[in-house]
Amino acid sequence: MVLDIAFAPMALAPTNFNAGDTVRVTVSFKYVVGVNKTVMLLAGPYSTNLFGKHLVNACVGQAEITLPASSTLAEGTGSVDFLLVPKSSGGIEDGTYGLRVWIEDTDAVAEQDNVIIVTGNSSGGDMLSGMMPMLMMLLMMGMIMPMTQQMGEETG
Amino acid sequence: MALKKLEMELKPFTALGEGAVALAEDPVIPGWYVDPATGQRVFYDPVAGKFFTAAGGVYIPLGYMNPAPKQVAVAPGDRLMVSISFKYTGPAVSGVTGYYCIGTNGIFGFDEKLVQLTTFSLPQVTSPPSYPNVTNSFTFTIPSNVDTNWDDIYVKIFGGTPSIGGQATTNYVFGYENALLVAGIQPTITEFKISDFAKV
Repeated sequence: MVLDIAFAPMALAPTNFNAGDTVRVTVSFKYVVGVNKTVMLLAGPYSTNLFGKHLVNACVGQAEITLPASSTLAEGTGSVDFLLVPKSSGGIEDGTYGLRVWIEDTDAVAEQDNVIIVTGNSSGGDMLSGMMPMLMMLLMMGMIMPMTQQMGEETG
Repeated sequence: MALKKLEMELKPFTALGEGAVALAEDPVIPGWYVDPATGQRVFYDPVAGKFFTAAGGVYIPLGYMNPAPKQVAVAPGDRLMVSISFKYTGPAVSGVTGYYCIGTNGIFGFDEKLVQLTTFSLPQVTSPPSYPNVTNSFTFTIPSNVDTNWDDIYVKIFGGTPSIGGQATTNYVFGYENALLVAGIQPTITEFKISDFAKV
């Protein structure tokens, strides 16, 4: 007996991007529609954890596609750009993300895990955000200490 | 507009003195019944005029839907001819009703959107035919308000003299799921995939 196992290759290869890059996604599909129609194509990265998939909303891009009326299956294509907004601007952290593309108000959605590898977020921003709680504590202590000293002087 | 065609072939059946005719009358009260052909317990709802069976805690209509062998693309204004054919053995029957329905099949039954009736006769046939010997058809005109989920079709035949079965109890019902690709106001999109992605 021969056990023949073959892994299907991923449709999309993982690709490296820097925070701040613009990504262009191209899609193909078939459609029918009774009237000329403009639809909205959206795309963006998503992260995956124990609780599911989470779209990075700050990075979602959108573009309009015009679909000429067709009562038989017609070929359609479209492209949409989205910006990998750096984390310092409220965007994406360094890491590996999936890519999701969909057409608004339809069932059309395509996605693939682990194809967008983001690097290049400046470490300065990270250090600042990491130190923020400590800075806040020091600030509060700086406000409280003079008050307690004043109270001590009054009671003494 | 274009005339599209969808053909359906019902299972062969006989109409006289063989079980099915004994079910000619619909039950009059709701409740559980036993299908004499299969022994299956079924629930009859006289308001909906349908039989249901229970599975997983919900009532589902008895199965008669099948995957469509092909999809027919239609748009508002198109004419869609649905034709049925079947092998018939039995006496001549006049006034048989053909019930043609387009709609949405779901877990709670078939949501009928377009219904049309035809009347036709069955010839007297004494020996089983080797090929379908009865045909009937109806041509729908797809309305402008068609929705993209009106993609299922079923046909049943009933009544006649002598009766081949009641409207709700007829054994001669057959449907196709996803038989239509509807070009409505909203687009129907298939084979949606990412071709490429890259930095620009």
